[in-house]
Amino acid sequence: MKKLLTLALAGATAVSLCACGSSASTGTAASTAASTAASAAASTAASAAVSAAASTAAGGGSDELTVWCWDPAFNIYAMQEAEKVYQKTDPNFKLNIVETPWEDIQTALTTAGTSGDYSTLPDIFLCQDNAFQKNVQNYPDMFTDLTNSGVDYSQFGASKVAYSTVGGKNYGVPFDSGCVIGCYRTDILQQAGYTIDDFKDITWSRYIEIGKDILAKTGMPLLSARADETDPIMYMLQSAGASLFDEKGNPTINGNETLKTVMSTYKELIDSGILLQVNSWDEYIGTLTNGQVAGTVNGCWILASIQTAKDQSGKWDITNMPKLENVANATNYSNNGGSSWAVSTNTKNAELAEKFLAATFAGSTDFYATILPSSGAIATYIPAAKSDIYNEPQEFFGGDKIFSKIVDYSAKIPSNNTGVYYYEARSAIATANTNILNGADIDSELKTAQETVEFAMQGSGTSTQ
Amino acid sequence: MAKAAKTVKNGFSLEKKENRTGWIFLAPAVVLIAVMSFYPMIRALILSFETGAGKNMRWTGITNYTRMFQDKLFIQSLGNTFLYLIIQVPIMLVLALIFATLLNNKNLRCKGLFRTMIFLPCATSLVSYAIIFRSLFANDGFVNRILMSIGLISSPVAWLTTTWTARLVIILALVWRWTGYNMVFYLAGLQNIDYSVYEAAAIDGASPWTTFWKITVPLLKPTILLTAIMSTNGTLQLFDESVNLTAGGPANTTMTMSHYIYNLSFQGAPNFGYASALAFVILILVAILAFVQMKAGDSRD
Repeated sequence: MKKLLTLALAGATAVSLCACGSSASTGTAASTAASTAASAAASTAASAAVSAAASTAAGGGSDELTVWCWDPAFNIYAMQEAEKVYQKTDPNFKLNIVETPWEDIQTALTTAGTSGDYSTLPDIFLCQDNAFQKNVQNYPDMFTDLTNSGVDYSQFGASKVAYSTVGGKNYGVPFDSGCVIGCYRTDILQQAGYTIDDFKDITWSRYIEIGKDILAKTGMPLLSARADETDPIMYMLQSAGASLFDEKGNPTINGNETLKTVMSTYKELIDSGILLQVNSWDEYIGTLTNGQVAGTVNGCWILASIQTAKDQSGKWDITNMPKLENVANATNYSNNGGSSWAVSTNTKNAELAEKFLAATFAGSTDFYATILPSSGAIATYIPAAKSDIYNEPQEFFGGDKIFSKIVDYSAKIPSNNTGVYYYEARSAIATANTNILNGADIDSELKTAQETVEFAMQGSGTSTQ
Repeated sequence: MAKAAKTVKNGFSLEKKENRTGWIFLAPAVVLIAVMSFYPMIRALILSFETGAGKNMRWTGITNYTRMFQDKLFIQSLGNTFLYLIIQVPIMLVLALIFATLLNNKNLRCKGLFRTMIFLPCATSLVSYAIIFRSLFANDGFVNRILMSIGLISSPVAWLTTTWTARLVIILALVWRWTGYNMVFYLAGLQNIDYSVYEAAAIDGASPWTTFWKITVPLLKPTILLTAIMSTNGTLQLFDESVNLTAGGPANTTMTMSHYIYNLSFQGAPNFGYASALAFVILILVAILAFVQMKAGDSRD
């Protein structure tokens, strides 16, 4: 009986050792290890992303491409229009567009990249510009080099192309501009005795001053923002050309005077009651479409969501964002978000993907003219920005030529440094921000934030490039 | 092996033959569990001794384990998780016990309906119920509107953006969801208690309170131990509520350890070695707590 027990245990151990030895690459082993390491936590999220991926991985068919992107009113709509444009040249062309939130795409990229198993990835996916450096540097084998793919990069804004350029090579086709604008409900402004021009080229203190007046007269806050997100802080920082990292990739959080000004401005916005804090993305969009705020300051992609409230047509207008005071290089322009299309190396038809992107997003002014009116997808493709449609008055915005305004602003955006640890820095700043809003001291919070980022950087042990 | 002296035609004794058959039945399961569970656990342990970002992992000994004591975020998430454990588990288990005792009453009508109603929450999906709770407790959500309309509060309570109310919402959500689950275990345990014991107690003049504490609870000890260990295990690994209800809460004050591990792995620059080490720390904690509970509660020794 004892002998049988020993034999069985030895057999089981031998089996597991065999499995150890015969695994073809550390990749497979790492995938099982990664899945266990994450299983205590991420089984729900990761398996949801992976099972969604399994059913939507790159199509093997000749003229069909699988695309992952988010936002039906914006990116998905743009892809559908691009499909129609390309079907004129190739009637058999088909796109399988799968709506995937950005967080899930990032999770899928990380899982596929770490395990070395790219088979779950689609042909084309949309990647946030801020995440390009991090993903390409960590998983260079996952992205197809598009430098010589027929896409003419000289036709795109330089600061936009820089996001998806790593080591001198291009890995993305630039898509939408994230140029920050101030959007306002002109009817509410009028009620309080202001016009849109009162918001042009102003400073944040003037913005707060007007905001308090509007709040007193109409009871409406001037803008809303998610409590756990740092978008306003990041774009305010960029508007003065400052970043959380220097060119070498070292964190510049502690002692960053511009950042201190930004955080105290943000605190003033909240304390004065003109910034309404909400808990989730849906609530944020709700405040705009349900008329709970008098406007917002965000990337121009927000226009698509604003325009879903058809009953507010004619009541909106835009101008540039306020600028910081007592800060060198402060401007009224910044960038928030924006993404580019990447082609994964899992695609079985790289040529088709490249031709498709080159012919539509990097080649067709008609395409950009089509998607502009209803989605507000502002091209970073320079020839498109010159087409007539950009100069047409937009009814939703009271007949203002908003698109030519935005193209004008885009040329003035200061660039910034993102780097591999951008997201760690963002969440550290979000934590610091919440504590500052509850009364903590700005200097000590920034010091803590820098220490958190340095801790994360030292943990991965990669040298910053 | 003196017992196996009896031999049969093919050289195996009856007992040896039964043993062999038993092992043959068990073999597929043993192999599967070795490959699917034990092997990944061993590989994860090895991974926890490595470090690096993405695919560039290199051996580093126990630096991951020593490093975590300097990790303020980890200490914070550890504290949060233990807070949930200490507050939520006792409340939930006592409530489940009370419900089970009430519903065990022979003369109660519609018992099936009540049991189903209390059990139904744990059949819901973790993600969807967390999202619904989040919208219920939003600034303009259902809870605030009800409280304002009955006059208990004058302005909306920021449930999810204040530390202690966010933790309260998570605890409420957990109690709502898991009480029914534990109640079912206690109901099953209560069926084993003979009704004559209660009759004898009633004849002796014991009040319901005394009956509950002096008879029900001691007799249910094994079941209570089981549910306590299971609840400890589940609460220490809490993930879905932290991610979907509060997203880690205002400034990481409701973040649990598993949520932090997820962030380490998927949100920033991935550091799977360190995340793996943290996962093993959770394992060690659960093992220690389970051991302590068994020593305290198991009367079979």
